[in-house]
Amino acid sequence: MAANDESQTTGTADNLHHVTSVDDVDDGERVVVDVEGREIAVFHSNGEFHALSNYCTHQGGPACEGLLTGTIDVDEDDELVWACDDEIVSCPWHGWEFDITTGEHLASDKYRLPTYDVRVIDGELYVEF
Amino acid sequence: MSSQAAEPDTVRSLDDLDVIVDTDFHLTERQEDIFPYLEDPFYSLLNSQGEGDDYGYLGRVYPAHGMVYSVTVGKADSPTVRTSEDVQKGKDLIEWDKAIATPTQNLYLAAVHHDDLAAALARAYNKWLLDNIVDTDEGVYGALVVAPQKPIKAAELVDDFADESGIAAVMIPSGSVHPPLGNEDYYPLYEACERAGLPIKMHNAAGTMMTRFPTQWQSLNRALPVHVTSHNMMHQVNLADMLTQGVPVRFPDLDFVIQEAGLGWYPYFMRRFDHDYMGAKFDAPMLEKEPSEYLRDQFYVTSQPVEGADDPEYLNSIVRLFEGENSLMFSSDYPHFDFDYTDALMKILRSEFDGDEIKNIYGETAEDVYRF
Repeated sequence: MAANDESQTTGTADNLHHVTSVDDVDDGERVVVDVEGREIAVFHSNGEFHALSNYCTHQGGPACEGLLTGTIDVDEDDELVWACDDEIVSCPWHGWEFDITTGEHLASDKYRLPTYDVRVIDGELYVEF
Repeated sequence: MSSQAAEPDTVRSLDDLDVIVDTDFHLTERQEDIFPYLEDPFYSLLNSQGEGDDYGYLGRVYPAHGMVYSVTVGKADSPTVRTSEDVQKGKDLIEWDKAIATPTQNLYLAAVHHDDLAAALARAYNKWLLDNIVDTDEGVYGALVVAPQKPIKAAELVDDFADESGIAAVMIPSGSVHPPLGNEDYYPLYEACERAGLPIKMHNAAGTMMTRFPTQWQSLNRALPVHVTSHNMMHQVNLADMLTQGVPVRFPDLDFVIQEAGLGWYPYFMRRFDHDYMGAKFDAPMLEKEPSEYLRDQFYVTSQPVEGADDPEYLNSIVRLFEGENSLMFSSDYPHFDFDYTDALMKILRSEFDGDEIKNIYGETAEDVYRF
């Protein structure tokens, strides 16, 4: 989950893991890093940072390396609309769509990508676990 | 028997397998791969220097279905497999020891409009396959693709290529065949495959095959194959459309009853639809839960004609798999020729289902569903 307030440095050194500098991840981009054996993707999307496991809970594909885009939804009149722009990543193996702000699989609540809190401290990105 | 019996084989992971054979490993050949292998007159016709004007869409001799898939919009990747190096990448991922390469573009070969060109494309594809892909040292085998539009030429192709190293099968792109594959037109092809000792793979292509259904019905020319297939196919088509368009979401207090198509297809369809939906949520945005949940909540099934009534393991499992204790309703179909006598179903189900469940199936559920 995203927590991008620099003042919220509640994590201790033990549970904060450095990812990269904020400047290295422009809005709309992502980095995938190995943190103590966990492949974690950190997305910069719509001004927020979101960190998720890069391991697809379906068949183990690199879930966060696929297309970052939106999806089609319906509005209150049941008309098709474009939604969640730049907040939906699709696992490149089978196209399963995940909401990067929650880790949820759009089609089923049986599947979810684990998410991690993100901290920004002095211009550096950390994930917390 | 030896007193020191061998440990029974246990398989806990892929590492415990002696051999993995992938029987459907796709190439992603393009027209431009195949055209250089065409024989005349089509080589000269299609490899000419003249570009022509394809009006933006007519340049492909294979029909384009126009459907928007996850791959079309980039939500799923479909790696390119057009070289030995590409094959190796797939082999490394899937970890097979042997694979039988099958096409992608040529899944649509049976829908190519020009019959003689289709036969020439089959021959060209197979030459490309043998030249560029098949490599028995690496376990890469191929299926000869034949054009069902020209069964005699298909048989000749099998005769010509069957002895090539690395050919493990013949593949009929079966999705758009006309007539259906029982027709005597295909017997020379079957004879050639039987003679060569090559099994026939039948592989459909989702995009275009339904366009053939009316002519295939005409060609079946008997009642049996129509009756066996059409009831469940039609229900699957209607249910798939109703779910995709969100009918049960739009009409949440409406119940539907599915009749006269047998049972086994129904739990299959539930899972098949859920499976596809997992990677295609954007294609059915009305749905708020998994498709099979709508079926369980708002759809009911009538029993006749019960298939597998001589196979309790089958029938009991099938009814459980769609929670028939809540959704199955007895029907006789009397006086039609395939009617079920009243206790035909009960004789089986009583070995698996309790009294309340059988009462549901024989009347209690119907008492709730229908407005008596």
